[in-house]
Amino acid sequence: MAEDEIRKELLIIERSKKDRQAFGELYEKYFDRIFNYILRQTDDEELAGDLCSQAFVNALNNIGKYENRGFPFSAWLYKIAGNEVNKHYRKNKGKKIFSIEELKVRELVEQTEEGWDEELINRLLGYMNELPTDMVQVLELRFFEDKDFKEIAFILDMTESGAKMRTYRALDKLRTNFNLKVRYHG
Amino acid sequence: MGKHEIRIRRQRLSARGSERFRNYNSILKQHDESKRIKTITRIFTFFFIIIALILIFVVVSRWEKKQTEPGKISTTKIERLNV
Repeated sequence: MAEDEIRKELLIIERSKKDRQAFGELYEKYFDRIFNYILRQTDDEELAGDLCSQAFVNALNNIGKYENRGFPFSAWLYKIAGNEVNKHYRKNKGKKIFSIEELKVRELVEQTEEGWDEELINRLLGYMNELPTDMVQVLELRFFEDKDFKEIAFILDMTESGAKMRTYRALDKLRTNFNLKVRYHG
Repeated sequence: MGKHEIRIRRQRLSARGSERFRNYNSILKQHDESKRIKTITRIFTFFFIIIALILIFVVVSRWEKKQTEPGKISTTKIERLNV
């Protein structure tokens, strides 16, 4: 994000603290990203719509307390959205779902078209099912939401080194267990 | 099995899917509603605290009154004994 854009966003946030209508600009800007982030963790459009609304209501309710801590405003919204998703799973005692896009996985893993078959995908799914949930969450934010480790640490309430460690461990396992070339070098 | 389930989405997520959920007016309405509930809760909590303080005051003053009454009797008894 460019310096100018950050400054402009901070001005909108300051305006939103006094005038709730001003928050609409931020809502329009981030709605799709937050909705898709929630949808990736629910795989249910209706539920994602409800949780997304609730996340933005919470953000609007607490905009007065928002402080710029060097993270983009979107990280704060991601954190609120993540909390809403967790609250939903805690309440319903269900299994957390991660709905990942096949195309994104293909982008991440270098493989010839012939090498991509259902069996490999199923094996990858099996492998990811066995990973600890927090590790999958870090991978999701890193590769599907393109967040840096500092932001991931803020969103998931963990240390930056913790986020890095989880990513590298998961990728190392992927490289060794599947003999795949992962397009990621830190 | 882990505590999560991984699913593969064959189609890329698009902005079109989220469009029918985009409604800032409904967000503002919900915000006003939660603000109203917050204010009502605050008023109730304030009154509850005031009532609780009044009750504590009444209970304490009654208890003090009871404590002083037996004392009076005992002094009169002493006075009688002296007579």
